[in-house]
Amino acid sequence: MIWASWRQQRLQLITLLGLLVVGVGAIALLRSSMLDSITSSQLTACVTQPLQDCAVPEAAKAFQEEWSNPLDMARLLIICVPALIGVFIGAPLFARELEQGTYVLAFTQSVSRTRWMLSKLVIALVPALVVLIALQYLVTWWLSAAGTLGPLKNGAFTALNFGIAHASPVGYALFAFALGTFLGVVSRRTLVAMTAGLGAFVVVRFALSGLVNSLVPTQRVEGTPDRQLTVHEDGSLVLADGYLDTAGQPVPEDEVNALIQACKTTPAGAGTPESQQEFLACLPKSGLAKQYADVIGESQAWQVHLADVAIFGGLAVLLLAGTAWVLRRQN
Amino acid sequence: MNSLTATAVGKRYRARWAVRDCGFAIPEGKVVALVGPNGAGKSTLLRMAAGLSRPTTGELKVFGTPVQGRIHPDVAFLAQERPLYHDLTVRELVRLCAAMNDRWSTERVREVLGLQAGVDHNAKVGSLSGGGRTQVAIALALGRLPRLLLLDEPLADLDPLARDETLRIIMTEVADRGTTVVMSSHLLSDLHEVCDHILLIDEGRVQVDGDIQEVLARHRILVGPAAGESTVEGTLISATRTERQSTLLLREAEPAPRGWASTEPDLESLVMGYLRASRERRNSAQHK
Repeated sequence: MIWASWRQQRLQLITLLGLLVVGVGAIALLRSSMLDSITSSQLTACVTQPLQDCAVPEAAKAFQEEWSNPLDMARLLIICVPALIGVFIGAPLFARELEQGTYVLAFTQSVSRTRWMLSKLVIALVPALVVLIALQYLVTWWLSAAGTLGPLKNGAFTALNFGIAHASPVGYALFAFALGTFLGVVSRRTLVAMTAGLGAFVVVRFALSGLVNSLVPTQRVEGTPDRQLTVHEDGSLVLADGYLDTAGQPVPEDEVNALIQACKTTPAGAGTPESQQEFLACLPKSGLAKQYADVIGESQAWQVHLADVAIFGGLAVLLLAGTAWVLRRQN
Repeated sequence: MNSLTATAVGKRYRARWAVRDCGFAIPEGKVVALVGPNGAGKSTLLRMAAGLSRPTTGELKVFGTPVQGRIHPDVAFLAQERPLYHDLTVRELVRLCAAMNDRWSTERVREVLGLQAGVDHNAKVGSLSGGGRTQVAIALALGRLPRLLLLDEPLADLDPLARDETLRIIMTEVADRGTTVVMSSHLLSDLHEVCDHILLIDEGRVQVDGDIQEVLARHRILVGPAAGESTVEGTLISATRTERQSTLLLREAEPAPRGWASTEPDLESLVMGYLRASRERRNSAQHK
């Protein structure tokens, strides 16, 4: 059965292997050329420190202009590969058999329909996931070489950085693949399954992208009103923020705005350092005792990724069960 | 034991019944000609017997086991569309089928393909002619070493020589292994050479079921004057009439009256008679 599935999906598997080889070569070349560019512009120290501490800011700016495009392309590649897996591997897997009637040949041999389905699924899915994980690893390896000069400086929670990290791409790929196979057995048309699968994947992928944040417990960070909380700058994901009153209860936003306006208008001679100090002193007096923020720290990003994989993996399992059910009652 | 039995089998596609209230029993070792007009339900019946589709009503049994959602291990099925993977070579396709079967004889497939001229093992299946693909599909069906062989239009796209070879292979299979064969076909003269049992269905119902010799012996073709039809006794199946002469197909006919010539029909004229009768029934039903 393994040989049978392998022989039928040979073209896809060779394509995947080709993609992997090209990916390894291209990323290794680009990375080494980028490292050359870093050393030649004396930017080595800037890779690990924040941009404002960089000794050669002009060189850093030129570097970013030169390399932000290739680095973004690499990130987009990892965002797109799951959709490609769904469209080109998941959707035609059973749709082609149903469309051309060849499933009749398989269904009139002694192998059970479930086993036939599983062996096709495994041979199609596992190599695709291996290639995806390898490419993801390569891109991360390249991005980390750019350090804070590259897109990683934006933190783990920006949409592009989040979508290519940890187990999330695998979750998306599982979902896209299962969606493709399901639409394939329902529509029995390869082209319909491919286009509808792509559309549905894009919609669901973006519709659910915010949901995951609400599933992970947040931490509340508090601070005095006179200084901005550091969580706004250290890459944490801020889900809610505002002011607390003296009892520790959040103050409604329109009330906050009114109080801030009131503090701004009290002292004469606005704009001077003294008025600024007075303004800040006014805030706690008028009832805005503390600033707060509900955050998920960058070090907790893995929890969000796990929730993400659970959602998309769960959907994938449901869709695969649906695929098996439709195939078993196919007549 | 009966190799295939049907009890009140019906199959409905949306509003239309493809097969309706079908009942028959095929004893082991028979070679059955499954005949009927286009759209009579022959393919539907064979697909249900192969476990590819489920009857809406009733039950099919193969060697005493109900057919439920999968093919019986002792059954091999040749589908009308000859579903084969076109991008594989014949050799690869044989290996693929071997991998999908517990009981399989690649020897047998080679032997059958060897008997049929002109199938190159290294040719892509897609590059073969329709007849070539049919021959490969029959060889693959025999590779399962079946006890019941279901063939949907096995002779349809074969040239006369290939048709002869294929019929001979089927006959050898029956003689050597005692395989029961159910084959649907429109080629009545070919069927007569190999089949010993007839199952005639029309509009999803069984019209004739029995040993071909017995069925033929029970029927008579009477030719006589157009005016004297009332003197003929027996169950009239169908008639063709000209101004002067009537040709009647009768079941359980009494001895022919004076002026009538009575002969035993051959398979072709028997089937033609039944098909004509069913068409007339259908036409008159439409006109009502």
